[in-house]
Amino acid sequence: MNLDRRSFLRTTAAGLGAARLAGRARAATAPAPSPGDDPGLPRDWRAQRKFDVHNHVFLSGRRDDADWADVDHLIEAAEFLGIERLFCSRPITAGVLANIDAVRAANDSVLAAMRRHPGRIFGYCFVQPGNGPAALDEIDRCLEAGMVGIKLYNQFKYTDPVVFPVAEKCIQRGIPFLGHSAYLTDPKTLALQPKTSHALDFCALSRRYPELLLILGHVNGGGDWEWAIKGLRECRNVYLDTSGSVLEDDTIERCVRLLGHERVLFATDATMEGCVGKMLAAEITPAQREAIFWRNFQGILDRRRA
Amino acid sequence: MIIDVNTSLGHYPFRALRHRTAPELVALLDRHAIDRAVVSSLHAVFYRDAHRGNEELHAATRASGGRLVPVATINPRYVGWERDLAEAVETWGMKAVQLVPGHHGYALNDAYGRSALARVAELGVPVVLRQRFEDRRQRHAWDQAEDLTAATFLEAAQAVPSARFLLLNWLGLDGARLAAAGLKGRVLLDLARLQVVYRKDALRLLETLGGEALAFGTHAPFDYVAPSLVKLANLSRLRPADYEAVAWRNAARFLALA
Repeated sequence: MNLDRRSFLRTTAAGLGAARLAGRARAATAPAPSPGDDPGLPRDWRAQRKFDVHNHVFLSGRRDDADWADVDHLIEAAEFLGIERLFCSRPITAGVLANIDAVRAANDSVLAAMRRHPGRIFGYCFVQPGNGPAALDEIDRCLEAGMVGIKLYNQFKYTDPVVFPVAEKCIQRGIPFLGHSAYLTDPKTLALQPKTSHALDFCALSRRYPELLLILGHVNGGGDWEWAIKGLRECRNVYLDTSGSVLEDDTIERCVRLLGHERVLFATDATMEGCVGKMLAAEITPAQREAIFWRNFQGILDRRRA
Repeated sequence: MIIDVNTSLGHYPFRALRHRTAPELVALLDRHAIDRAVVSSLHAVFYRDAHRGNEELHAATRASGGRLVPVATINPRYVGWERDLAEAVETWGMKAVQLVPGHHGYALNDAYGRSALARVAELGVPVVLRQRFEDRRQRHAWDQAEDLTAATFLEAAQAVPSARFLLLNWLGLDGARLAAAGLKGRVLLDLARLQVVYRKDALRLLETLGGEALAFGTHAPFDYVAPSLVKLANLSRLRPADYEAVAWRNAARFLALA
């Protein structure tokens, strides 16, 4: 079947009685969209200012001459989507208790990406709390090199006392602590990630350190996001970010309704188009959208100490 | 013109959905400038007698003036399924048939799956296969269905060479492997979980399978609609020649929409 656009519209219009459909079909006679005129999206969607507060850089080495394809694709995507700043880390995953040399190498690759894209890529320092005082020294090293916060993965529950010195360092430096999170309900996944923290673990850490700038990472990153949002009602000082590969309807609205938009931060965690789309679709006010897109995180950055 | 090939109507047992009735779904389409939607019944996935869900869907979509294009869901383990299939396709004119082996208790490659694929292919309509409804990491304790895998799909598709497939919510399919398996021209994949920029898996599929292989799809009302609109907008800049095909033309051709 080889339909041209006009004959398709002619044949469909003949069989379609609904007035609403007729209205849509008339609109469809317009030419293919030009930039700035994307169907179903706000006219200014690319121009709305956005900070992606949870993303990653993955490159094959820490040197400036490493393979930059992934990082450059990240920047290209940010250009397409109007994401002004990307706050990135390179965590060591799969439950590996990496030694400090491996952690430094991972952070060096983030620093290299920051040098390649200054003013665009900003860094979180990945730390493995089990490295003890060396982990705290690594935070200082990263901050002195220009990073803005720390990122923890799932090597330890955030209620584990081994994490406390890291939290205290964040308070001392006035920097955000972005934590990997999920309330995993699938036994297979839970067996692979037994120490992943969920909303109530974040709340417990926040109750111990109310002044900590604590961010629950990727509410849509896999795991029961409805549970995560309801869980965070138990603690007022924890932010959450909107990232993750799950694009389920009503997530953003539930965050805003149950927690208040002031606690919600835009992020993608590499699901860049999807997470921008979630924000554009959410039934929230323009001021709430702007706050989530960038203002809330700017407020967190402004609280850093020298 | 935009046709969404990936929508559902009805309740989902494990999460409250907005926009789950036909009028609500049409209003959602209107809000996002989407002209038509290919829709299947969630009730048909969970009722013991799936065809009762098809009956509801047939009734619910008739009043949409063609905005909602119904897809049947068939359970080949249930008594009288071939009669139900014939009624849905030949009497009601449903444009495709969904199989949900993980929910209906069979495998795409066992005797039930193979006979369903063959019978749907004989009727000349595509088979709809969703890789999943939800991310398994958030599954309810009663949700036991596993994601469909590429290996299972490829084996089934090669066993029934006359079958065509509308593949929804898939990620991780290698276009070169599909082409090598003789599926170029036999598959239409939706954008719901693909990326146009950054990971660029949508672009790789266009390169390996051709411009006729992708279609706009949102997985509404489970997912927000705008993520796929953002992808379509990016495609209009990166591959303007493929824009119309992905936005609606491929769906219209593959599903023989009037």
